[in-house]
Amino acid sequence: IALSSRNIFSVAHRYMSCRPMSSLSEEVLLVVKKVRQRKQDGTLYLMAERIAWGPEGKDRFTVSHLYADIRCQKISPDGKAKIQLQLVLHTGESTTFHFSNESSALKDRDAAKELLQQLLPKFKKKANKELEEKNRMLQEDPVLFQLYKDLVVSQVISADEFWANRLGDINNADPTSSNNKQEVGISGAFLADIRPQTDGCNGLRYNLTADIIESIFRTYPAVKEKYSENVPHNLTEKEFWTRFFQSHYFHRDRINTGTQDIFSECAKQDEKGLKSMVVQGVKNPLVDLLSLEDKTLDEGYGFCKTFPSTSNSNRTVKESSNSAIIKRFNHHSAMVLASLQFLTSSTDGNSRDSDFFQPPVKKVKLQEVIEYEDLQRENRPKTVALNLKKSDRYAHGPVPLQSQHYTTSQDIINSVNYIRHEMLNYKPNLTQVLSSTTASSAIAALSPGGVLMQAATQQAINQMVPTEVQGELKHLYAAAGELLRHFWSCFPVNTPFLEEKVMKMKSNLERFQMTKLCPFQEKIQRQYLSTNLTGHLEEMLQTAYRKFHIWQTRRMLRKT
Amino acid sequence: MKDVAFIELKTTGHGVLEMPSGTGKTISLLSLIVAYQKAFPLEVTKLIYCSRTVPEIEKVVEELRKLMEFYSKQTGESNNFLALALSSRKNLCIHPEVSALRFGKEVDGKCHSLTASYIRAQRHSTPDVPVCRFYEEFDAVGRQVPLPAGIYNLDDLKDFGRRKGWCPYYLILHANIVVYSYHYLLDPKIADLVSKELAKNSVVVFDEAHNIDNVCIDSMSVNITRRTLDRCHTNVDTLQNTIQKIKETDAAKLKMEYRRLVEGLKEANVARETDVYLANPVLPDEILKEAVPGNIRTAEHFVGFLKRFLEYLKSRLRVQHVVQESAPQFLKDIFDKVCIDRKPLRSVSATLSYFYSFTIIIEPFEDRTPTIANPVLHFSCMDPSIAIKPVFQRFQSVIITSGTLSPLDIYPRILDFRPVTMASFTMTLARTCLCPLVCNYPQTHTFKNTLTLTLVDSVIRNYGNLLLEMSAIVPDGIVAFFTSYVYMENIVASWYEQGILENIQRNKLIFIETPDAAETSMALEKYQEACENGRGAILLSVARGKVSEGIDFVHHFGRAVIMFGVPYVYTQSRILKARLEYLRDQFQIRENDFLTFDAMRHAAQCVGRAIRGKTDYGLMIFADKRYARADKRGKLPRWIQEHINDGSLNLTVDEAVQLSKHFLRQMAQPFRQEDQLGLSLLTLEQLESEEMLQKIAKIAHQT
Repeated sequence: IALSSRNIFSVAHRYMSCRPMSSLSEEVLLVVKKVRQRKQDGTLYLMAERIAWGPEGKDRFTVSHLYADIRCQKISPDGKAKIQLQLVLHTGESTTFHFSNESSALKDRDAAKELLQQLLPKFKKKANKELEEKNRMLQEDPVLFQLYKDLVVSQVISADEFWANRLGDINNADPTSSNNKQEVGISGAFLADIRPQTDGCNGLRYNLTADIIESIFRTYPAVKEKYSENVPHNLTEKEFWTRFFQSHYFHRDRINTGTQDIFSECAKQDEKGLKSMVVQGVKNPLVDLLSLEDKTLDEGYGFCKTFPSTSNSNRTVKESSNSAIIKRFNHHSAMVLASLQFLTSSTDGNSRDSDFFQPPVKKVKLQEVIEYEDLQRENRPKTVALNLKKSDRYAHGPVPLQSQHYTTSQDIINSVNYIRHEMLNYKPNLTQVLSSTTASSAIAALSPGGVLMQAATQQAINQMVPTEVQGELKHLYAAAGELLRHFWSCFPVNTPFLEEKVMKMKSNLERFQMTKLCPFQEKIQRQYLSTNLTGHLEEMLQTAYRKFHIWQTRRMLRKT
Repeated sequence: MKDVAFIELKTTGHGVLEMPSGTGKTISLLSLIVAYQKAFPLEVTKLIYCSRTVPEIEKVVEELRKLMEFYSKQTGESNNFLALALSSRKNLCIHPEVSALRFGKEVDGKCHSLTASYIRAQRHSTPDVPVCRFYEEFDAVGRQVPLPAGIYNLDDLKDFGRRKGWCPYYLILHANIVVYSYHYLLDPKIADLVSKELAKNSVVVFDEAHNIDNVCIDSMSVNITRRTLDRCHTNVDTLQNTIQKIKETDAAKLKMEYRRLVEGLKEANVARETDVYLANPVLPDEILKEAVPGNIRTAEHFVGFLKRFLEYLKSRLRVQHVVQESAPQFLKDIFDKVCIDRKPLRSVSATLSYFYSFTIIIEPFEDRTPTIANPVLHFSCMDPSIAIKPVFQRFQSVIITSGTLSPLDIYPRILDFRPVTMASFTMTLARTCLCPLVCNYPQTHTFKNTLTLTLVDSVIRNYGNLLLEMSAIVPDGIVAFFTSYVYMENIVASWYEQGILENIQRNKLIFIETPDAAETSMALEKYQEACENGRGAILLSVARGKVSEGIDFVHHFGRAVIMFGVPYVYTQSRILKARLEYLRDQFQIRENDFLTFDAMRHAAQCVGRAIRGKTDYGLMIFADKRYARADKRGKLPRWIQEHINDGSLNLTVDEAVQLSKHFLRQMAQPFRQEDQLGLSLLTLEQLESEEMLQKIAKIAHQT
């Protein structure tokens, strides 16, 4: 079970930001003095795993963020009087640092920014994935969400504890995903995500993140090349991107005119790339439009529906810009697809020029086309793919709780034989059966409404209790179940960690009883409902307490 | 279906069949005709199956192979059927160098330069002239050896050729079943070489024949540009020089060569009378009956005559304004200007004798670019029946079939034949797997005199919204068709400006058809790749384009087809205008009727691309309210029409999205064979049951 998960929700965040400066063994990467936060002077520390700020003259951090919790950093535009750096957390909160050292504020800020820029992506992936996963689970599962609200938001247990074995489950469920990460392609719309915003004074602001930059590089290798050529020797990073967004290359609907534009070469390279893709041709003969027509004799004769000629000479500017857009979209989509390199490489390169390799693809495609699924002769039994959560368990069969109850297959065969044998020799002993009157009274007693069936007619709970109480009860059950699950999962307690956990869990249970169960009991008493409702819940808690006591006494004994 | 086609075979007549694609049209026709062939080997000797594209042809052969395998499994005996696919050199060549060329023309040219008789003759004297060893081998050994019985697809033929070292293109063909492209039968320039020896009692099937009238017209029409004439000029010069040279060296030989040419024409006449050959529509009977005119009998005369004619054409191309005239006018003009009489011209270009079916249009420039001179002489045929007439006359049964042939009665009219049967079949479906929706968009643009489009901005935005909404709810692939390329270009540009495309990109990748076939092929392949992983893709394409005519979007490659607008043909084209006039005068078909018919068959083709069988499913969205009108709706194929109800007409985007969501959710449920059994799928017992036989008889009766 992975316990590494960090809480991403507000509660835990508060714990962390109050953490004292005790763990100073951390490696400090950068110290920036004269940084103001909330109008207070102080010092900013960038450490291996977190960024922290402490007010001047105090020996504790009042602000501390793990890098993993930081969504992005923003900096104040150049030329503003205040030189600031803002950290936006996943929770939506943000912290702003104001660099106030007159002489070197800008330099300080940029140093911090640069370092953060390198550090953040490292932590980001993991955090993002977990965050997404958790979010998804909460959204998909309303019961879990309710539990989360009951237990975490009301501070019965911490979010870390809550997620501890939830996420463990996920990891277990899909071992492949944790071991070899599936490579993620890039979103087709990453360019759409950098829509500029006007900044109010006749300018445009583009928001770039490391992800987007990576997407741009992967989709347009030519830009990456330019980047490594020019940054930081000729241009700063910022200048580079500014030029990128101003370039004709980015706005492909404008016609390429300027030659001093560093990206005009990229456009050419892209065109070349597209052309080479086109020349390569297609592997699937069924979509090859060139070889579709089977008529070669009368090319050039006839009433061929030629499209308007594509040469640029006799096209208007508007038209050629339109076709540039179309080309661009085709190229863009192709490149996004190509970013899934592992896929394209696996689909076996049947190059066009080697004629001998072509038939297989063609044959397969042809067969696919003429096959009618619904007319297939052999009715292969349709099977459901087995989705194993624990494949070793599947391989070994259920593990017996107690070994002596384990029956071997020989035992089973023997007992079946025995039963069969018994059955063969079975003779009803008609003299020793019940008398008919006793039998009928027994049946009457066991029928609905009979004496022995009283318990079953006990009125269903849903008729006796108002719905909102029912709902509450349900929540209580769910919450208690969750806590108890945590509790029982600690046994057998064989590590110090589990020991600690079981103690905590017990106190969690007690807290639950105090803060949740008791008020509910009082409430139903006030409403004169049968207190019986919570009986079972209490029983469960008592069992857990008993278990705890037994364990504790044993431990005491062992210790002494 | 069986009954209908059977009647046809019995009565040796022609027929028109409409059957939704993917319901086994090909296989049922094949099995029926093969069965008939087996039962009455003397009545039907040959099946000629014509399809449109190379993949289609290969598909038919594969189906046939399946059928034959089934036969031999059931009867336990091997078949002595010979069936093969024919194609151009490009698809059959096995010469390592020649076959590496990418364009058909290059392959033909190269092949010709290696196998032409004069080259091979040269080789006798100078042995280092390259020739094709496969052809030589074939010529030496293969000519006499018949192909062993079996089913040969293009690749099988190549394989066979490679094994034997023979050129597969020239293998002699006496097959029971021949599968090839329309052009081999319709285009006089090819049919003459390939198809003229086909026996009279053959059955001809034209599959995917919804465009057959256009193919006929194409094959009988010629465009002459200045470039053609220039080339022609150099060729005539070469000819003249050669004649001059030969004349100096060997006058006798020349005479003989020329005699042979003339004899050839005479022989053609003899052969036709004895009914050996398929008539060539370019050489009508009456021409052959006349002796070859005297004044072009000698070579110099002939060349001189050609030169004069060429000069005349050149002078005509120098016009400054558009000229349109009929064939007789044209001939008269020639006579006036360069004193060429009608008679000799006829034998050169005898098609002119069908005077009124042809028109000559000379355009000094393209409509779009009035400043750039690019004169074209369109010599265009207006009557599709001319090209197909010999086929109907010669063969006992001709079946025209496609997924979209509605309205059925128009085809016999424009192709000028009398069908014995006409039938339109619908699909019996266990679940309604197609969902046609008509959205309430007004007409979006009007064509003014030139090609400038008037685009209505709000409608473009609406189209974009529709596509955007659909991209969010439809899984895998969406194909959208526009009415013309220019129109698509403009819409794409304004979608780009409005940021609609960017939003669509959040849901799917976008691929767009371009005028360049290679580029489009690439886009298509990438589109399919994108459909196979990730969130799918959108393909923007053009009705009447190559994609809409030849590419199927089976299963997840096309879960929705959106047809933006009604794909009317560009009506300002003079050729089209002339043809419409002709149709009105000769066949009493009103212009509007024909245009609507033409638009609707293309629309049906486009949307029909997505459904390829009963296990497939797809949305068909007609984004134009004109589709709701009875005259348009009525011209859709029956199998689509019957699923359009009042609830699916005049929808707003929201309504369409709601309906689509519902449909897609239902369709996503597992669909098993058991669901179909008894309804749209019959076991042998069910098929033979009395009840079902009655039902079938009833259906056959209705149609």
